[in-house]
Amino acid sequence: MADLIYENTVVNVVKEHFKDDIIDAKVRRQRRVELRTNTNNIESVLLFLKEKMGFLHLSHISCVDWIEENRFELVYILWHPQEKVNVLIKVDVDRLNPVAPNIDYIWPQANTYERELREMFGIQFEGLVGRHELILEDWDDLPPMRRDFDTLQYVMQNYTFRSGREDAQDVRETIAKRTGEEIPEFAKKYSR
Amino acid sequence: MRKEKTTTIYLGPQHPGITGNMMVKLEVQGDTIVKAETHIGYLHRGFEKLMERRNWLQSFTIVCRICVPEPDPNEENYARGVEEIEGREVPEKARWIRMLVLELARIQSYLLWYGGQSGSAGLYTIGQWSVGDRNYVLDLFEELTGGRVYHMYIWPGGVRRDLPKGFKSRVAKVMDYLEKRLDDYDRVMFDNAVFQKRTQGVGYIPPEKAIEWGVVGPPLRGAGIKSDVRIDEPYEFYDQVEFEVPDMYNTSDVWARALVRRFEIRQSINIIRQILDKMPDNGPVWNKIPNPHKWKLPRGDAYVKTESARGEFGYYVVSDGSEHPRRIHVRGPAYVHGITLLEKILVGQNIADVALIMNSLGTCPPEMER
Repeated sequence: MADLIYENTVVNVVKEHFKDDIIDAKVRRQRRVELRTNTNNIESVLLFLKEKMGFLHLSHISCVDWIEENRFELVYILWHPQEKVNVLIKVDVDRLNPVAPNIDYIWPQANTYERELREMFGIQFEGLVGRHELILEDWDDLPPMRRDFDTLQYVMQNYTFRSGREDAQDVRETIAKRTGEEIPEFAKKYSR
Repeated sequence: MRKEKTTTIYLGPQHPGITGNMMVKLEVQGDTIVKAETHIGYLHRGFEKLMERRNWLQSFTIVCRICVPEPDPNEENYARGVEEIEGREVPEKARWIRMLVLELARIQSYLLWYGGQSGSAGLYTIGQWSVGDRNYVLDLFEELTGGRVYHMYIWPGGVRRDLPKGFKSRVAKVMDYLEKRLDDYDRVMFDNAVFQKRTQGVGYIPPEKAIEWGVVGPPLRGAGIKSDVRIDEPYEFYDQVEFEVPDMYNTSDVWARALVRRFEIRQSINIIRQILDKMPDNGPVWNKIPNPHKWKLPRGDAYVKTESARGEFGYYVVSDGSEHPRRIHVRGPAYVHGITLLEKILVGQNIADVALIMNSLGTCPPEMER
């Protein structure tokens, strides 16, 4: 087991500096630290980690939809180029009113991640400059990466199947119908 | 011409700079770019959404399709993410084979890059050579995995099958051949005045800003910063092989990035030779997984990453304790390189250099859109 000196330092320093604003802080394993905070403090935590601790590289911003707990979980992943440690900062966002602060003044590339999350999960980032859509164009349905977006239902409502190419058709029956052949007795039990 | 007048040019979605479809909207004055804006959305296949409806083994067949030129880091990342959540051990030999596959993938990806980079500078012969030579590596992949481009070989618990008989010697033979060929590429590409003049001083990234702007991989090493996931956070057995990470090319332009890749392809050949030496001859290659239909992972998450040919390739894998992934987020290096970084560094460049710069950054739309 490797010694986790820097990992423990991060946890202690952040706990000491932010006190109750950090809900949870722990070392997950070598090179992985996990912090949990809330949307009010996320900007100051990220700025502190970047400017004071040297976590200069933003790896990515991800989002997980915990629909049964009625929350989105934003995950910011930072990397320390000298100490070689990743820190995961998790923030819960209310699913009914998903608003989070914009951080593209801290890392310019956060802009793209936030634009994608806005489109795919419907999370509003306060102050994110409204540029053109990133991936989806003229989308007015539910944001598609949410768990309650039903892909199959969307396809059924918006697209039609080409005749002869209907989904989930029985191959053996279709061929038999086309060619006029009888389905052999032994194969009938496998047909629907 | 009035100074303030600009013209809008749409470059793409199909163009020679990259593998995939992506459009760059350029505002130009004369032939100098004053503003660039990346538009993606031509290639979105919804893989991340698709995987939420598949079980853990079905998702394994999807991940390799996320990136066309180099699918193996996806497979390795996914497998390692699943293993980390589950706490599954991987047999020693399987880990050596994974490294072999990753390095072969890096070599074939760089050979494809040789073609793209020289082609965008107007030197078309090199592309014919390198893509031809890449086929020898793809032949090895075909023998090992059954597929030339998409391998579906590295899966949770190990790899899908053992090395065929005599495979090691065939790999060694191809490596010897490639090493000789690389000198030929040097003569026609790196010694060529056209290539030097087209690339030196083009596509400059300020080194002091590079880490903050999210630059990874060869562009970061081309800025003189020693950074490589294989060294920084060794995965598999990368701590047991010796190789150098270049930091001597620090002009941070297309030329420096080309030299970094030229250096690294030789390092990869060197690593493969060490792998062939150190790999055990016998032993299991797979720690068997349970029935895939009933295979549940404990609730948890993991962030894993590999060094792909374009830089840090990360997977954030989340399990909710069921048979299906709750979320798999793919962090491709091109997501940052191709959008925010490209928009910044294209300003002030010539229209003719756009494809050159895109290629030097390793822009790859499939991993931006997943």
